Amino acid sequence: MMRRRTRGQPDIDTGALAPLLEESQDLHSDSMTATSSSLAEMVELGQESRARGASDPDETEAFVAERNRLMPEAFGGKILAAAGAGTALTALMASKAFASSDTDIQMLQTAASIEVLAVATYQTALTLPFIGGASANGVVKAFAQMTMSQHTQHQQAFNAAITQLGGKQQTNPDPVLLKVVDAAKPGLTGPGPVVALALELEQGAAETYVANVGALSNANARAVTASIMGVEAQHAAILRAVQALLEGNAPQLIALPPSPLSSLPAAAGSVGFPAAFFPTNDARPATEGALS
Amino acid sequence: MNLRPTTGRDVLPVSEAEINRLTVELDELHHDESVPALRSSVQEWIEINHDRMRAGESSALPVAPLTSPMAGAISRRGLLIGTGAAAIGGLLLAACGSSAKSATTTTGAASQPSSPATLTGDLKVAALAASLENLAVYAYGAGIKAAQAGKLGSVPPAIVTFATTAMAQHTQHGAAWNAALTAAGKSRVTETDPALTPTVNQMFGQVTDVAGLAKLALELETIAGQTYQAGIAALSSSSAIKTAASIQPVEMQHAAILNLVLGNYPVPNAFNPTADARSTSDLGK
Repeated sequence: MMRRRTRGQPDIDTGALAPLLEESQDLHSDSMTATSSSLAEMVELGQESRARGASDPDETEAFVAERNRLMPEAFGGKILAAAGAGTALTALMASKAFASSDTDIQMLQTAASIEVLAVATYQTALTLPFIGGASANGVVKAFAQMTMSQHTQHQQAFNAAITQLGGKQQTNPDPVLLKVVDAAKPGLTGPGPVVALALELEQGAAETYVANVGALSNANARAVTASIMGVEAQHAAILRAVQALLEGNAPQLIALPPSPLSSLPAAAGSVGFPAAFFPTNDARPATEGALS
Repeated sequence: MNLRPTTGRDVLPVSEAEINRLTVELDELHHDESVPALRSSVQEWIEINHDRMRAGESSALPVAPLTSPMAGAISRRGLLIGTGAAAIGGLLLAACGSSAKSATTTTGAASQPSSPATLTGDLKVAALAASLENLAVYAYGAGIKAAQAGKLGSVPPAIVTFATTAMAQHTQHGAAWNAALTAAGKSRVTETDPALTPTVNQMFGQVTDVAGLAKLALELETIAGQTYQAGIAALSSSSAIKTAASIQPVEMQHAAILNLVLGNYPVPNAFNPTADARSTSDLGK
């Protein structure tokens, strides 16, 4: 088994999973081509838009109305309940100052802030012995490593999109969710709480992007966001499956593939995709991670 | 990689009750949140069309008569069943399961017969989406029947649950698109994607075990996820975009679980590509 160590990073086990990860990287390169194309188109459209002047007031008004409609539902999630951040952000969202700014850039900045936090959270998790250390499940460890890498790429994509639309890159974490993650850290004493925290972040990210896709005015910003939202949903699906197996006291079935498949209980077949239509109730407010 | 299930008496270490509890919670979440959210998107689409019609505007989305049963509101039953029917040259869903059969036997809307090939704009994208969902329902239905007939060897219970749940979700996706079509006065699409169906039939003919069926399903889920990805860029109506956005992540979740079962890395791409997306040209011109 080959092992390499990177300064400041946990051990990376590149044994049996290496071929799969390599194959995944090849596939990823193909998908990046499509996203790069979207970003290039966004540059042109964004520059054209800015050449024409400020954002369309009707577009902004429609955006604010749409996100305000979603806002009450956005505070139904566990993370938001813990954060206790509702009324002030709702009011902020509806304020003239925010309504008159470039809402697409704000949504992209919030998305980037969520990605920054996700990267930091997985990085922290990987320092824990039961996630990234010697006692970790190999699949869980590889998943955390790969997912952190994917979130890094998402952050870069959102920030590239922001720059190309003339906005300022967001490199800080979502301030509301950061408090939640910080509060959760002392309780990360085993795989279960870590998976639960990661699931909350992934589900929240996916729901935010699904909501944003319906609200973004720039077609290519929408395309980039759409190319990421399903990936976060996939992270959530796998985490749900892992969570079910952990809670069912069957960590040995967390494997690629789970073996034997016949040992999986029937309900495990659908635990990863609980909804036929992806909800947006826990979507983050569009300006939560936006820069002023 | 050995995907063949063992036939011995394996110990079932996981508490079925525990995972069932999780599933029930998640199912309740779905019924409480996602269906109303989707209903809202489709309803919004209908109302936009009606507003445009009242204003006498020409619209990319033809509207249903205001006397249509679909004009007032969309019920859960409406989403699951829909009204009217259109033939596009693929397979009729009536052949592959009771729920699909009920879809083809339910009538009563004010929709007029129309060919998907003649549709334009968002409605044609909706028809393509419905035909792909129909194809997924058809494939899962055929797979379940083959499993029940013992043609796939021993089938693990989790695989059965996966197939039945995924098929039910695809049925709901197809019904959502058909609700939008019938609300716009067009016929419901009840057949499978005509361009893709022959290939799926050919692949299905070679399926002899669970792994083969999972690979076929993975192909379909990948195509669906990528087609919605491309569709989001092609659609013009905000509510149609929201509908597509609410479905694309679910197809990708199906794909993630299938990859896991097949022993592949479950989230292979950081960005969902569109290379395998289907075009509305599948429906003819």
